[in-house]
Amino acid sequence: MNYDHDVIVIGGGPAGSTFSRYCAGAGMDVLIVDKRKEIGVPVRCGEGLGAREVVSQGLELPKKCISAEIVGAKVVAPNGKEIVWKDKQTTGWVLERKFFDKWLCELAVDKGAKVHTYTRATELIREDGKIAGVKLSHGGRDSYEVRAPLVVSAEGMESFMARAAGFKTVHSLYDVDTCYQYEMKPYDHQNLIELYFGNALAPRGYVWIFPKSDRKANVGIGIGGNLMNAKKNGGIPGADPKVLLDKFISTHPQLKDSSTLIDFGGVISVGAPLDEFVKDNFMVIGTAAKQVDPIHGGGIALAMETSVMAADTVIEAFRKKDFSRAGLMPYEKKWKDTLGKKMAKRLLLRKVMEKFSDDDLDYIFNAITERDLNSVMDGNFAGPVAKVVAGRPQLLKVLGALVS
Amino acid sequence: MITIKHEGCIFCVGCSSVCPVSAIEAVGTRMEHYPEKCIDCGLCVKVCPANVITLHKGVKSAAQLETRGTGHAPKEAGE
Repeated sequence: MNYDHDVIVIGGGPAGSTFSRYCAGAGMDVLIVDKRKEIGVPVRCGEGLGAREVVSQGLELPKKCISAEIVGAKVVAPNGKEIVWKDKQTTGWVLERKFFDKWLCELAVDKGAKVHTYTRATELIREDGKIAGVKLSHGGRDSYEVRAPLVVSAEGMESFMARAAGFKTVHSLYDVDTCYQYEMKPYDHQNLIELYFGNALAPRGYVWIFPKSDRKANVGIGIGGNLMNAKKNGGIPGADPKVLLDKFISTHPQLKDSSTLIDFGGVISVGAPLDEFVKDNFMVIGTAAKQVDPIHGGGIALAMETSVMAADTVIEAFRKKDFSRAGLMPYEKKWKDTLGKKMAKRLLLRKVMEKFSDDDLDYIFNAITERDLNSVMDGNFAGPVAKVVAGRPQLLKVLGALVS
Repeated sequence: MITIKHEGCIFCVGCSSVCPVSAIEAVGTRMEHYPEKCIDCGLCVKVCPANVITLHKGVKSAAQLETRGTGHAPKEAGE
């Protein structure tokens, strides 16, 4: 069979670009297609990124990609009590995503990957029952076919080609948070990520303030997708992220007089990852595979880490000329054994957290320390749970799930 | 079918990511709706953070929506 490329990657976000950088670096012929006119635009995200994964990939972020450095986090209980938390997990950056995504993509180009923007994958090509490429449309004008023995979906939330390949990538309302965000100025921050909790403030979610350069900040809200505008089924009438965010801002001492510079929104996956990531001649990586942290909805670091695993497998499969499901399986297995276990704990924590009343949250924030928050984020729940349950035994019923 | 008020849409692809039948898709710089695929489930309406999607139950096409909008829509069986 005649192929145009060794691999076609759909989507030039952090997952697609990182994966392509490694594959192209190993000598593979890689084509990235992205349906947006410009890589990295529009931004749909809070733009936070922990430092760890960038460092472990030996990357040095150019100045233009970094809006502000983060030195810690501040979490705020419904009653206003704050815990400030500074450690390795909370250090990182708030990015300028449009520059960051483009830079990551350019790194892949530097290694030899080819990129086509404004190019939408419209259909999978199947030959003898096997996936053998994609139909593409450039700017809605020229349609053409491109063939490769492997197609990789790095499509993000929409993940249409992954759906076409038979993956269950459709999101349920319960497993998404729906978000609205403004870039605002002026806001005098302390380089802390600020998170505000409360069921009235943000049902099953929180309000965040992410510091940016020049007295700016991303001020956003995420609420449970199943609670949105719902009149029945336990939903909260009038729960609308923009309305709730405006309400928060109007009562915030500093932000109430600030300007908005950008309106953006998004829907974040906060559920479990896909059951499977690979099929014959097809692979799903990053947010398209729902590889997103269910606690904070962050997907960039996971996408980058996942991409290394996926690329290792694909480079090996390329050498063996085996892009079958079995040949691609090492990636799926490794992910499930490592990141999958970590994310399963985070998902459990999310599901426990959404059961708390404001009163419970106030109590918990009062009982725990910065160190407890650290162990919780590391997946060690026993200590903090024991502490909370000692003072409020009725919470055992909810918290028991974390330690059983 | 649904209608999307494009003024106000923040192009977040929330609607398309929850649509069970791929009837909405980000194309170019706007969300495109394919009414022939739409099953009127209303999930996109619920998830939209900008509140710009409306569900018109029992309406199958833009033309029909227009006649209904003017109050001259013929009554359909089952209504």
